[in-house]
Amino acid sequence: MFAEEKLIPVPFDVYRFDPAQGGEPRYQHYELKLAPHTPVLSGLLKIRDEVDPTLALRYSCRSAICGSCAMLVNSKSRLACRTPVGPEVAKHGRVVIDPMRNQPVLRDLVVDQRGFWSNYRRIEPRLLLDPSRPMPEGRPTQMTPAQVDRFRETPRCIACASCYSACPAVEADPEFPGPMALAKLYRFVVDPRDGAHDERLRKVQLSGLWLCLRCHLCTEACPKDVRPSERIRDLKELAVRSQGATERGSRHAVGFLENIAEAGQLNEMKLVRQTDGLVGTVGQLGQGLRLARKKPELLKKPRTIDGVEEVRKLYEALQKDEEVPL
Amino acid sequence: MRFAYYPGCVAQESGKELDLSTRYVCRALGIELVEFPNFSCCGSGFLDEANGLLNVALNARNLAIAERAGLDLLTICSTCQGMLTFANRRLERPEVKAKVDGALQPLGLAYSGRTKVTHLLRVLANEVGPDRLRSMVKRPLRGLKVAAFYGCHLLRPADELQSESAEEPHEFEDLIEALGATPVLYRGRVLCCGFPILFVKERTANRIAGRQIHDAKAHGADAMATPCPLCHISLDSFQNKAEREVGERLDMPVFHFPQLVGLALGASPEELGLPRHLVSTRSALEKLGSVAVPA
Repeated sequence: MFAEEKLIPVPFDVYRFDPAQGGEPRYQHYELKLAPHTPVLSGLLKIRDEVDPTLALRYSCRSAICGSCAMLVNSKSRLACRTPVGPEVAKHGRVVIDPMRNQPVLRDLVVDQRGFWSNYRRIEPRLLLDPSRPMPEGRPTQMTPAQVDRFRETPRCIACASCYSACPAVEADPEFPGPMALAKLYRFVVDPRDGAHDERLRKVQLSGLWLCLRCHLCTEACPKDVRPSERIRDLKELAVRSQGATERGSRHAVGFLENIAEAGQLNEMKLVRQTDGLVGTVGQLGQGLRLARKKPELLKKPRTIDGVEEVRKLYEALQKDEEVPL
Repeated sequence: MRFAYYPGCVAQESGKELDLSTRYVCRALGIELVEFPNFSCCGSGFLDEANGLLNVALNARNLAIAERAGLDLLTICSTCQGMLTFANRRLERPEVKAKVDGALQPLGLAYSGRTKVTHLLRVLANEVGPDRLRSMVKRPLRGLKVAAFYGCHLLRPADELQSESAEEPHEFEDLIEALGATPVLYRGRVLCCGFPILFVKERTANRIAGRQIHDAKAHGADAMATPCPLCHISLDSFQNKAEREVGERLDMPVFHFPQLVGLALGASPEELGLPRHLVSTRSALEKLGSVAVPA
């Protein structure tokens, strides 16, 4: 059946830019005829091999394993090797190709990934052994299925950088290490063989963990369903449990927890005090008063919900419990 | 239509205009809101970071209260929508459910998992529908170019929230069109407002908000509209600081979604709490001509 599949016209608009040549980035138009199931990558290689040998792109395995061909296909993060052209043309009338975001363009679709990789190295992506707990000699280390289950998703990561490209925190703040690095870190934090659990959590809190926006754009962009945003959530809870409310981010989370136990709902101004402390709150005074002129509720204590004692009972029942993987 | 109304914390306090305008719109469209003064905060994503299971349990309590009354739950905040739906999903896992059931039982509460969580935007998009909404419009918002800003937790993670198209949603734009206004398409409409780190690293949060507002403005928007009061805080209440970060005067009126609907249904700016915004909505109202612009 596939052999008889009819060829369709596939208009490609491909981002072209060569900083060495100067000038502005532009889109170059190519008209191809392809079977609808043809991967975008095959279309681009056809352009490079038969039409325009100057087109630069990264690729290798063509099987969604190596993670080289991540790019934007009609503005969405995709692996070009497993994105068929047919549905793109049906939906958008053409195939617009851009390089990934958040990484400077070296040429055309090839981006500079040094930032991505140095953030990855920063988390020390290898088992760090505790000298007081050496690996058993002469036999494999055993893990229970439940222990392995805790990191069943992260080993699927192929380091394609789609998440890094999609991340608004990476875009806005160089301190944020990016979703992939944090998802990988999580994998080592929950690995029972690793001996640097607390130290890793202490360090990552100081290197941008709390800048994750939990916008889940990384989870949406990931072609392997690693779900980085959910792993970052896990890391935050583990950090709070291991280190307490030491950083602004963890103070805010723990402040929130205490805040709700009090009235069942949020006391916005009090939360600012819990996070910022007295000095920080004074710094916020100008903005606070500016807001309170339009929104006088900010200066009043909010209502306590009916049945707040039920909320407190939930806290008593669960707060001391061990972390449950979500 | 009858729902257990879950206004969320902000709409009951500093974002009261959202509650006001929701009530106006629901009255006009015949959506009955049943109130539950015992609903608690959804945890807003922050409690989840401190204690995930406790966060699920807190929301299971809310969901159980609605279930006991035989009602589905109506949210007016993308974050509440996300957290309550997340709790429903996690309660599908037997080990989570067992723990939460154990904590609810002494409260005389039980939750079977039946409560559906729906955002007002979805009710208008799917149950009222753009066509019926269009037929009820008294004052079409003609000439007004409105940039929808969805709020992350209405959309993502798409599989958890069962949102149809997280990457290219159109339900909000369809409603804006039904109100007579012109939707503005721009990249930022599905991105983050920066709110979750507003209290962690304010300038980064402001910068993110500033970029989205700048993007909307660069695409010709006269105003933005959002179904999330936390996005509203970031985009409206802190717009002065966002301006500083992007180095540009933005002056972008930001409507809560039901305020925009209310305007089209004939409400006055005061009935919708528009004077409570930090960025004046005057420039947008003047475009509409027929609205009495408050002093």
